[in-house]
Amino acid sequence: MKKVLTSLDEAARLVRDGDLVTTGGATFHRAPMEFVRELVRQGKKNLSLVDREPAMDFDLLIGAGCVAKIRAGMLAFEGLGLAPNFRKKSEAREIITKEGACQPIIAGFRAAAMGLPSLPVKGMLGSDLLDISEEIGGYKQVEDPFTGEKMIAVRAIQPDLAVIHVQKADEYGNVRIEGPVYEDVIKAKAAKTVVVTAEELIPNSEFRKMPEATTLPHFIVDAVVEAPKGAYPGSCFNYYDVDYDHIKEYLRVAAKGQFKEYLDKYVYWRETNE
Amino acid sequence: MNNKIEIPDLMIYAMASEIKNFETVLHGVSSPLPVLAMSVARKTHAPDMAYISGAEGVDPEVDRIYPSSFDARMNRNAVAYFGLHEAFDLAQRGELNVMFLGAAQIDRYGNTNLSVIGDIDQPKVQLPGGAASAFLMPITPKVVIWITRHSKRVFVDEVDFVTGQGYNNRAEAYKKNELVVISSLGVMNFKNSDRVMQIQSYHPGHTLDEIKENTGFDLMVAPDVAETPAPSKEIIDLIHNIDPDGVRWTEFR
Repeated sequence: MKKVLTSLDEAARLVRDGDLVTTGGATFHRAPMEFVRELVRQGKKNLSLVDREPAMDFDLLIGAGCVAKIRAGMLAFEGLGLAPNFRKKSEAREIITKEGACQPIIAGFRAAAMGLPSLPVKGMLGSDLLDISEEIGGYKQVEDPFTGEKMIAVRAIQPDLAVIHVQKADEYGNVRIEGPVYEDVIKAKAAKTVVVTAEELIPNSEFRKMPEATTLPHFIVDAVVEAPKGAYPGSCFNYYDVDYDHIKEYLRVAAKGQFKEYLDKYVYWRETNE
Repeated sequence: MNNKIEIPDLMIYAMASEIKNFETVLHGVSSPLPVLAMSVARKTHAPDMAYISGAEGVDPEVDRIYPSSFDARMNRNAVAYFGLHEAFDLAQRGELNVMFLGAAQIDRYGNTNLSVIGDIDQPKVQLPGGAASAFLMPITPKVVIWITRHSKRVFVDEVDFVTGQGYNNRAEAYKKNELVVISSLGVMNFKNSDRVMQIQSYHPGHTLDEIKENTGFDLMVAPDVAETPAPSKEIIDLIHNIDPDGVRWTEFR
């Protein structure tokens, strides 16, 4: 085992401009928000983002000007509203939106995780989404060679980097996720580089006491960062719930066209305070 | 009935009524009404249903709902976790019985649009996206579409973009699968030979004419059309106890 513990700053430098990035969690839950804020502070450009159902993580990166392209099944703030920066920049064609759908996006990750060029899924036929051509997780109609069943083959999605926020990790990159796992294991196996931000670092001996609780073994993970409150204002199961008031403030400020103020207050402050 | 029953309660009860005991049912993202409907069904006529939450809990005791339908507090007392990707695999195997989906636009064949208003390459409005719609709509034995604002802007002659597949955009094998539309005015289905939308019931306080006037295409009427059954006081109390904050109203504003 190799020690892969590093700083947030160093880990975020693994992301290069133009990279294809995916984030762990789902909507407001266990998304790697502190890592996302660091990407904004480092001024990343032209990122392509892909995920099943992201929310504020993607919208924040879009609002900060880090993003060129989005592929997602759905991008919204659930019952709190539409994703303001996504909507604005997509309508202004400042970003390219190539809508996917949940199962095909997961299939793209699964194909990459399995080392396959593509994976078929059912459904999809008859939807105009099939006409949205895309190299990331693109679709092609195929026939099963045994039954002749018509399906959609989804091209593998191999992110340059997957960043996943978790509850516990050790300095070698062993990871324990508590509660819902979402597609985080699949994404980690699919990506070329995996960064884990963790609420807590625990000793390697703790993993050895209960290996069945290990979600990802160390050789899958390239960098570990200690990041308490790293999913804030989203939730991290067993640690904290969503701060819905904070998210409402984000939406209010964005609606007034003053998103820069949000960035100054909650993202860039760290730079000026250090 | 002395007090007027509120529309969310009527819709939630109608949605719950689409679930049969022992069925496997899933809800997705942004789904306060489906969460409440599944909770009502499980506590009333479908105690043995398999309840798969979008928050990944199986058979949870939902004692409160939140603005996010993936809030892990809704997994309390769950018997297991089952990821959405596993639930989608179940759907591919034909073992997911019921799914609830939304729509920004819907047409007479049941095509739904959750992608864009206007042209896909030059959208007037960028919508959030269809999530699992295009995958689940054709292959799931029963899909229930809930629409909180029954108007001509939603019930359109032609959707701007086909996100979820109506009957005219399905392979023959998937035309047998059921589609039910539950709106703020009534319950619609496609149980006729042409597989086009028809009114099955109108909510108490509303009329067939009102539904037709607020629909952008000619609606058929089922031969056995009736008033939508109203929920009992016990069921209304159950809904209000799980949702003291009124999260169910967010889609109606």
